[in-house]
Amino acid sequence: MSNGKAIKNRIKSIKSTKKITKAMELVAASKMKRAVSSTLASRLYAEYSWEILTSIAQNAEELEHPLFTDRSGLPSRNVTADQRKILLILITSNRGLCGAYNAQVIKKAISFLKNLPVGKEGKNIGIDVVSIGKKGDVAMRRLGVNVIASFIDLNDKISLAKIIPVSKLVMDEYTALHYDKVLVAYTDFISALTQRANIKQILPVSKTDLKEVIENLVVGVPSGTPTTKSQKEQKTTYLFEGDKVKLISSLVEKLTRMQIYQMLLESNASEQSSRMVAMKNASDASGEMIDDLTLVFNKARQANITREISEISAGMASVS
Amino acid sequence: MSKQLKLKIVTPERLILEEMVDQVSLPTTEGEITVLPDHIPLITGLSSGDVIAVANGEYVPMAIVEGFVEVKNLVVGVPSGTPTTITEVAVLADFAEHVSELSEEKIVQAKARAEELKKLMENKEHVDFEHFEAELERSLTRVKIADKWRTKKYRK
Repeated sequence: MSNGKAIKNRIKSIKSTKKITKAMELVAASKMKRAVSSTLASRLYAEYSWEILTSIAQNAEELEHPLFTDRSGLPSRNVTADQRKILLILITSNRGLCGAYNAQVIKKAISFLKNLPVGKEGKNIGIDVVSIGKKGDVAMRRLGVNVIASFIDLNDKISLAKIIPVSKLVMDEYTALHYDKVLVAYTDFISALTQRANIKQILPVSKTDLKEVIENLVVGVPSGTPTTKSQKEQKTTYLFEGDKVKLISSLVEKLTRMQIYQMLLESNASEQSSRMVAMKNASDASGEMIDDLTLVFNKARQANITREISEISAGMASVS
Repeated sequence: MSKQLKLKIVTPERLILEEMVDQVSLPTTEGEITVLPDHIPLITGLSSGDVIAVANGEYVPMAIVEGFVEVKNLVVGVPSGTPTTITEVAVLADFAEHVSELSEEKIVQAKARAEELKKLMENKEHVDFEHFEAELERSLTRVKIADKWRTKKYRK
């Protein structure tokens, strides 16, 4: 029986692979939990900053801020502009082995790049990419898209301080009129089993969008904790200390940063959960494989024994 | 019991503190203000420094880096009696830490980090610079606030 040993070796190697995938599954599960809880923790801040913004807005009648105004309709820009430009932030993971997570968001980004509306002179609208995560970076470079910056040193534990360079870069580029629009391709965390790749515009800030984002955050949380909205009925007039314009601009900056932070957290949670599912599938598959191989091995062993017995009895018969 | 106000300190990462205090002093962009119960509604920006709450005669200092404060009066309906108002002070900060979390060891680390960052800042690229700048401000604020409260008494 020549292949008995070979089968045994295969079973052994599959068993050790299973151990690894199992461990990765558990690690991903705990990381996912942390990512989800930090997503929820940032909710309160979002709610309060939104409240402040709306109270300022309603007192100041109209919000006038460069980050708010939609530049696409401005005629002056269309005349002088060589090309209108869009900045896309692509959020992916640094590591693989996480199912279709990266593939989905990259696919989404690529289809977005292909479907870009054609500019005035028949040229495509210029697009630049800021990549977060190695996988997206590699994919974009392979496509030959202009990657203006890549952040690949963000680990699983994202803190706000690490987002500052990203948001600062984006806002500087935007206010310097280099881009007309800033979009983010990220993965929406719906549940541990479903994630959806998504593209969302973050600049110019549209007030309805922002409100939607924050309300979604609030909805995504088990009710019972009374939100601040239910408590206040009448609008109060606030006293403002300091320069209102400055206040608004720093508030908007912070809200934008918070949005990027939120999207990163969502993506991180999605990454971990899709890795968890992928690893669970791998562990299950290796379990099945071990069962099958054990069956084959036992059959081979049995066949061997039967053959030996028949050989012996044949020998006995010839002797006697 | 005298009237108290509700202090909430929130960062994007977590809710740092939520409790009833007697008064709170805040470092605003224009100077320092102290908020007592029944303060009129106010919105203002905060600079880096320490938020000092006073609860039952004890100081509760927190080191914060940049943010906003919103003061408002909430009408809380009491089922049996007349509705009363509670003044709520919501501090939104980029970073916040209780001073007791700034142990000696951490201060030494923060100081070293600040020095290191200062050196690094001189020869770094633009993108990294922003990160370092924020880090540096955080470290410096920590050191400053920790030094200030080293000899004073406060509630842990």
